[in-house]
Amino acid sequence: MTEGGIKRRGVVTSLGQGFLRSETTVAIVLFALLAGLPVVVSGYTIYILPQYLLYGMLAMSLGLLWGFVGILSFGQAAFFALGAYAMGLSETWGLGPNPAYVGLMASLVTGAVLAAAIGYFLFSVDVRHVYFVLVTLALSIMVEQITVSQSQVTGGYNGMYVPRMSLLTGASGALSLSKDAAIYYFILPVVATVYSLLRWVLARPFGKVLVGIRENEDRLIALGFRTPLYKTAAFAVSGAVAGLAGALYGTHANFVSPSLGGVLFSTQVVVWVAIGGRESLLGALLGAVAVSALSTYLSALIPNYWQLALGIVFIAVIIAFKGGVAGAVMRVAERSAGRKEHG
Amino acid sequence: MGELLRTDGLTKRFRGIVANDCIDFTIGLGEVRCIIGPNGAGKTTLISMISGHLSPSAGRIWFKNQEITTRSVVRRAKMGIARKFQTPSVFDRLTVHQNLELASFGKPMEVAERAVRLEEVLAITRLCEMRRTVASTLSHGQRQWLEIAMLLANRAELLLLDEPTAGMTAEETRATGNLIRMLASRHNLTVLIIEHDINFVRDLRAPVTVLHLGRVLTSGSLDEVAANEQVRDVYLGRE
Amino acid sequence: MSTPVSVLVDATLITFVFALAALGLAVIFGLIGVINMGHGAMLTLGAYFTWFATTSGVPFVLAIVLAAGGVCVIGVLLEHLVIRYFYDRPFETLLLTWGFFLVATEVIKIVFGTDLRTVENPLPGAIDAGVFVLPAYESMVAVISFALLAALGLILFNTTVGIKVRALAQNAEVASLLGLNIGLTYKWVFGVGSFLAGLAGALISPMLSVDPYIGNIFLVRSFFVVIVGGIGQVLGGTLIGSFLIGGSETLFALFAGQVVSQTIVFALAIMVLRFRPSGVLRAR
Repeated sequence: MTEGGIKRRGVVTSLGQGFLRSETTVAIVLFALLAGLPVVVSGYTIYILPQYLLYGMLAMSLGLLWGFVGILSFGQAAFFALGAYAMGLSETWGLGPNPAYVGLMASLVTGAVLAAAIGYFLFSVDVRHVYFVLVTLALSIMVEQITVSQSQVTGGYNGMYVPRMSLLTGASGALSLSKDAAIYYFILPVVATVYSLLRWVLARPFGKVLVGIRENEDRLIALGFRTPLYKTAAFAVSGAVAGLAGALYGTHANFVSPSLGGVLFSTQVVVWVAIGGRESLLGALLGAVAVSALSTYLSALIPNYWQLALGIVFIAVIIAFKGGVAGAVMRVAERSAGRKEHG
Repeated sequence: MGELLRTDGLTKRFRGIVANDCIDFTIGLGEVRCIIGPNGAGKTTLISMISGHLSPSAGRIWFKNQEITTRSVVRRAKMGIARKFQTPSVFDRLTVHQNLELASFGKPMEVAERAVRLEEVLAITRLCEMRRTVASTLSHGQRQWLEIAMLLANRAELLLLDEPTAGMTAEETRATGNLIRMLASRHNLTVLIIEHDINFVRDLRAPVTVLHLGRVLTSGSLDEVAANEQVRDVYLGRE
Repeated sequence: MSTPVSVLVDATLITFVFALAALGLAVIFGLIGVINMGHGAMLTLGAYFTWFATTSGVPFVLAIVLAAGGVCVIGVLLEHLVIRYFYDRPFETLLLTWGFFLVATEVIKIVFGTDLRTVENPLPGAIDAGVFVLPAYESMVAVISFALLAALGLILFNTTVGIKVRALAQNAEVASLLGLNIGLTYKWVFGVGSFLAGLAGALISPMLSVDPYIGNIFLVRSFFVVIVGGIGQVLGGTLIGSFLIGGSETLFALFAGQVVSQTIVFALAIMVLRFRPSGVLRAR
């Protein structure tokens, strides 16, 4: 490598840290714009946007794992579907004084506990990461099939109706989220909070250790880190986020069906994250929102060709643009910043 | 000088090949010791058994008067045994400072204490000016130093250095020798080094243990060892 | 009516069908270490090619050979254009072969449509063996599956090429010292694996209705067959794995529903993965 090459790459990282700061700026601007959106837009956009945002939350749950810990899961949809069923069952059975809270809590706990159990079971003996992909793939299949077969509880193939939740606020009243704008203003802050919390976690020592696992797990072990516990914890957080997103999705869409946990949806999440940019949570979020919005729009016009194009883009990203769109944006930003420095 | 590490009849067999045969070995607190020997003498095997990366076929290991023979790599690292691998093993895409910070998370420390320690480590290992440089862009010698710095940031007490000067320039090698001597004398660290470069070993002025075919041939100062007939045979290829 | 004998017969037939479906995967995964997530799509392609050929009037036997050959060509193209640059990165090959699945599935939908297709059973009827009845076509497939395993065994263990390929699976450096052209060998193995996947899809097509996702039924099961049997144990491993996955699924299905038994089998496979990561037949 030449001297110039070394120098340039040195500059890249200090700018990479700058990029994190600018990601924060972009995120703040984005969430602020989304918060203002219902003032100017209404109708279908405001109805559908929360669902895309929840897909984005699901994508962040994978981005955390894949981009920061280096573990790929092909089963995130399983947690999403379980979260949605938890919400649906809690509402159907009328659990507790306010089934909505029970449903939200249950989805979080189900996702976290199931992921922690699977994670610890496999990570504690250092199961190879490619095998982990297969196990999570099997998890998706199992969740899909179990929800199909337990039709007396889940409604089987036909799926299950999930009412829009209403939240008890104090002793006096309840906050109904049946209006599209109302649930929009509930889901948006949740997604923004989850994004911020994940960013915060990643900036903590815990998050830095996760990145260390991605970079060089053997080195960390030799320094005395119990990496299986860190990986298990990361997977549990990821499962909880996916589960919560699923619960909110169920109550927003009023419906949950087995295919929500299936392999095809699970791998759709992988496509979103790959295209959006696996090493940026915002990239994953926006990848999911953009791709699913485009899917809705283009599926009506050119259903098969759109999916085909998506597959080709996915392959292209894996071959040539490992960082996805977020990575490409970062590279462009660096290049223009580098030019300024020289000029 | 108190004893820090002791091995007792340590043996490692790989499918009938005896890599280490009944090694009895002791290293005292604050001591610097070099292990030399021709290729295949079992040097890296010995270090791997001490670090926990290999489990011995027979024999026992004590560290700080506790038996650690069956303890995991992680537990030994937590007790203070830290290993530098033969090819530098660092976090390539992180900066020097991020590498050290990450290593320091291995032991509980106050925030302020950590900051002080990292600055100290950067100063000792002369990486201050490189703190914002990505590890992958460092020179080979600097990467070796970074890995040693990580062990220091991790508050290791026994450093196992597997060929720390491999790929270094003469100047870097000399500086590494000075660094190791200073770590032992001023910071009371214990250092066990595998080394090929006899000049480096001479500069260290440290006692030497010679391994040959998995056994300890002899120990002593470099001059004593060099005067030993058997050692001369091994190194000059006489049988 | 299920008698112990008929259950045993069913389990045996299923074992060989699973072994057939997993064989292409076992070859690619076991010999060159690529996790071929496109395996299911290759099965599907084999099935659709067979459907297309037979409905165009091509005799069944010729149709399955053409189908397998077609999938082989596609597999070699995939290897040549993409996979060969990523052999040292298992994660990337996994994702790229999944990308192949996505693309192949959409192309299938565009070319063949999404309606269910049926391939006529070329050997309807059954062989009555007194205590039990053997469905003729399934039995023939089992025999072919066994023959393929045996042939593969002969090639891998008794020919110079086979021994070199196995050496490659053990240690690429040694294999290159043996004068093996590694790049070309990888291509051959990938081609043979794709051929076997296409052939499996073709042979399975008369047993099920063909849809664009038919191969995925076998994808995860095939992986578990390979993992449970032991990676690199191309023959014994595939057979044992198929028996444990397919056979036990048949047996469990006697006591519990189809879904429950499949879930149990998946759970058991995950147990094997954890406690015996190198498979039931552990390589020494």
